[in-house]
Amino acid sequence: MLISPALLSGQQGYLEVSAPGNRQLQLAIAAPKAIGSAPQQDINNEIAEVLQFDLSLAGPFSVAKPQVSESRSGLRLGEFDIAPWRASGTDLLVKTGYSVSGENVTVEFRLHDILTEKELTAKRYTGNRRELRRIAHTFADDIMAVLTGIRGPFTGKVAFVSTSTGNKEIYLMDYDGANVQRVTRNGSINLNPEFSPNGREIVFTSYKSGNPDVFRRELFSGTEARVTTTRGSNITAAFSPDGNRVALSMSKDGNAEIYIITKEGKQLARLTNNSAIDISPSWSPDATRTAFVSDRLGKPQVFVMDAEGKNVRRITTSGAYNVSPRWSPRGDRIAYCRQHGSGFHIYAINPDGSGDTQLTTEGSNEHPRWSPDGRYLTFSSKRNGREAIYVMRADGTGQAKVSRGKSNDSHPTWSNRW
Amino acid sequence: MTTAFRRSDSGIGTSISASLLVHLAIAGLFAWLQILHPFQVPTAPVYYVDVVNLPVADPQAGSSAAPPGKAPTQAAPQPAKSPPPEMKLPAKSAGKPVPAAKTAPPAVPEGKESASEFEERMNRLQQSSEARHAAAALDALRRKAAIRGSTPGIPGGTGKEAGSDYASYIRSRLVDAFQTTIAYQSKNPRIVMVLSIDRSGKVVKRRMESSSGDRLFEDSVSRAIIKAEKEFRPPPGGGTFEYGFIFSPKGVGEQ
Repeated sequence: MLISPALLSGQQGYLEVSAPGNRQLQLAIAAPKAIGSAPQQDINNEIAEVLQFDLSLAGPFSVAKPQVSESRSGLRLGEFDIAPWRASGTDLLVKTGYSVSGENVTVEFRLHDILTEKELTAKRYTGNRRELRRIAHTFADDIMAVLTGIRGPFTGKVAFVSTSTGNKEIYLMDYDGANVQRVTRNGSINLNPEFSPNGREIVFTSYKSGNPDVFRRELFSGTEARVTTTRGSNITAAFSPDGNRVALSMSKDGNAEIYIITKEGKQLARLTNNSAIDISPSWSPDATRTAFVSDRLGKPQVFVMDAEGKNVRRITTSGAYNVSPRWSPRGDRIAYCRQHGSGFHIYAINPDGSGDTQLTTEGSNEHPRWSPDGRYLTFSSKRNGREAIYVMRADGTGQAKVSRGKSNDSHPTWSNRW
Repeated sequence: MTTAFRRSDSGIGTSISASLLVHLAIAGLFAWLQILHPFQVPTAPVYYVDVVNLPVADPQAGSSAAPPGKAPTQAAPQPAKSPPPEMKLPAKSAGKPVPAAKTAPPAVPEGKESASEFEERMNRLQQSSEARHAAAALDALRRKAAIRGSTPGIPGGTGKEAGSDYASYIRSRLVDAFQTTIAYQSKNPRIVMVLSIDRSGKVVKRRMESSSGDRLFEDSVSRAIIKAEKEFRPPPGGGTFEYGFIFSPKGVGEQ
């Protein structure tokens, strides 16, 4: 350990305190405890499983299975023995209690800091028994908010394309693969779903009218509208950060170009105009720039242009085939796919073209999409045979498969919290 | 058409005359000053050194250049049983300098003192002098500490003095604790935290002068302080110790 004293300025002295590494906090999840009702093992398991998965993916924590026997097992400080937890090296402890009344369940969570002996947060949720996973995800989001200052994305939904019916239909699921719901039932090919910023709408490309067109669907009401009516391919649509506009690629004039339209379909601007193919627009979080794919230099590469389509600059300089860019909600990174042999891998790069980093190394991985907080990515991978949905941290660590079906699942996109 | 110009000055002769007069006046002034105030060369006071008792150089006496295995011609001097005679301070001469003293042949005293003996004697004198000074300084500090009723450490110190060992001690405890708590999510977190430690060794106030915006990192610093605080000893001087500490992951500045 290097410690170098430093006198900054003035009469007040300062000494530097530094330490190597970035330690993960040891977080223990105590077994849920039934309060006022008989213990139900399925509830115990479901709460523990959700918290374990969410907080393991989170990054700052090393989630441990508790090996502590308590003589007192209350939820509040003073109602349980803190010494055994401290002796086990636990930094943070999640205590859970629940009670069941008919179809309703009330769950109380408490997060304790063992070292400082402080209760960091406490929440109580009441809902239908079917909402139990969502309740646990919500508290995992709260834990992230308390400890990192930024709420977790674990209550968000993932929309994806599945071939479980033989056609490519769009589905919704929890980000961890649970509670799968079918969205489209048109028996055609449906691709590239993208959420609106509030997570209540999606735009997607469907061939159900014979031509690849963009449709917008309200997920809560089921209302669906065709957004593009022009001939040619209308594909790779993406909502603007304010949710009122859509950037997409249209080939109505012969070759694919980037356009901006209202979410109702009125054309606002054409951003590219050349003989090359320009597709896959992705807004920067402040909507001042757009990343997209163009083969104007011969092979598909990722470019960035400003909101008016000017100042076009190539940012990927390695690899012969780079596609599917997505700008991080934080604005600091752009995830994309690069072809490696017959497959693809996911990379992330700074918007200025620096910091190009490979995030996946196993199998073929495509279609990266950021979580709403920009700390995680979801993507599809064929590493285990069938194509499935995976999640990982923004630095490529913590990769885990989440889709549970036996079909091919692809084109995931992660919504803001519902 | 031509225009006739007429000189309006009095010509070069007047200027030469004026210059001559000024030079003569300055020369006269110098002559007058020389008569009234003759130049005096400052004379440095002359000190006379009694070279009579200085030892005659003996190159072989205690020479480190003696061949190996060969004993020096003179053994190492034994410590003197009686205190050495006080060295006489050079006396200022009342009369004129005596140049002959520099060239006077050295007279050999009855008890001839070798170079090593002389060196030993000088060392003893120097050590004795230093010991007296150290004892006097220590006595003064003890008296000062006794007046203030302070605890042992830096006598009379508050721990804020430059190079204070207490600040380094606190830092070392913080470093040990920080190693076990450090966690961060931003690229270059850095916190400046001023700690106030009371006379019992407890952190009574924490003031964050500079935040990192990284809550995870700030919590890890907070946890390190709480963990380290359990091992803090009371600050010297009995008062409240206040010092600033800069927390950062190692190597952040090198990125």
